[in-house]
Amino acid sequence: MTGVGGFADSFALRWENARPRSRLIIGVMLVALIGLVGLTPKTLFGVQLSWPYIGLIAAVGWGRSGMAFAPMAFLLMFGFAQDASQAPWGSHGFANLLTYGLSVIVSQMADTERSPILSFILPVVTLFFGIMLVWLVASVSSGHIARVTPMLTAYFATLVVHMLIAPLFDLGIRRGVSGGAAS
Amino acid sequence: MPRSSGKGYRQRPLRRYGFFIAVAGLVALLLLQTSPRLSEGVEPIRTAASDQLFHVTRPSLIDRLSGASARERQILELEARVRELAQYKALALTMAERLEVYEEILNMQGEPGGAEVTARIMAETNGPFAEALLANAGATNSVAEGYYAENDRGLVGRVVQVGQRSSRILKVTDFNSRVPVMGEASGLRAIMFGGRDGLGHLTDLPEQGEFLPNERILTSGEGGLFPRGVVVGHVRGGDSKDIRVDLAMLTGQLSYVRLKPIISITPPEENPVETELSSLIEEDPS
Repeated sequence: MTGVGGFADSFALRWENARPRSRLIIGVMLVALIGLVGLTPKTLFGVQLSWPYIGLIAAVGWGRSGMAFAPMAFLLMFGFAQDASQAPWGSHGFANLLTYGLSVIVSQMADTERSPILSFILPVVTLFFGIMLVWLVASVSSGHIARVTPMLTAYFATLVVHMLIAPLFDLGIRRGVSGGAAS
Repeated sequence: MPRSSGKGYRQRPLRRYGFFIAVAGLVALLLLQTSPRLSEGVEPIRTAASDQLFHVTRPSLIDRLSGASARERQILELEARVRELAQYKALALTMAERLEVYEEILNMQGEPGGAEVTARIMAETNGPFAEALLANAGATNSVAEGYYAENDRGLVGRVVQVGQRSSRILKVTDFNSRVPVMGEASGLRAIMFGGRDGLGHLTDLPEQGEFLPNERILTSGEGGLFPRGVVVGHVRGGDSKDIRVDLAMLTGQLSYVRLKPIISITPPEENPVETELSSLIEEDPS
């Protein structure tokens, strides 16, 4: 236990001191890993597993650090990778980018770090917005109302995974937030 | 610990423009794909990307652990086989219809049908003396000695004993059964009897010619014990002197059998037709 605890402490310390670029690269690697696993068929004892929209989690996480070119570029890239399955090109990128934009706006409007309720509710709302966008684009592009149940299960999976790995998408910078509030 | 970025204020408009340009570009890309021609143009890119990004056929770790990949592979194989068989079925139905039409055009006389009975097998005797089945249909069901029994795959045997409500069928696997058979492709004749190994053995083989490996064996109809053309099995490859037959009936179910009568075709001299010429011959033999 001490070994594990020591490793966790060491990791937390390293993460605390990590630069935004390093954090971004780690986040990109995490998205790529989870996304690639998500591209394979997933069944557990015959039950189809729902996979989270990891791109949306990254969008919400990176959006908290304000608007930047690098996260936008990566979100676009992830979107195109997701589109390779069967979606129209640009649909996931569109959802990722708009979710990112919403997350930026919400983070600048509300002080989520000092309000635990807001820090819980805002990702729930932002992720729902992202999933709704995916559903909307799917419905418009296919010409009929897309199935809601798979989207809902994917949304809950995204929420759960977001709760677990959200800190890894914190770039550690607060653009547009005054220095006093950030410290 | 979050850091604040001072130069973010200055760069923010540029980032915002970049954001809106990217969103507008994506919307344009989505709208462009509503054109079928453009959609077809980008499909090869999707295919190439799919090939590079995923290996959908490769089973995931979870699938390997749960054994789902093997099952899925088996299901896919079976589905492919069902599709293949469905094609054969459609072909067979078409050919049967055509055959019916041809027979009607040629005014071909088919074999007259008899009273067929489907019977349930109540007991089975596989002792050292005889291999027989007891079916729940007898004289009250118009079953008579000499009826032959078939299951869904082929010839089962011949009714050798009939009671009021039951009948005993001597299976073709019995050593004492003798079935006149012929090769479907070679046309060679032989007599088949049951062996102790559960296979049919061919005897009285022709001096010239050999049965083909895996050739279907049918009843030849000689001797009048069985009608011609009932499936018996197929030749198992091996020694040309000791030819064995894999019996088709063993691959099917043996809970129910169809008991069918033998329609014997009598020679014309046994049942002559009265004509003017024959009556004149009878009146004046000189």
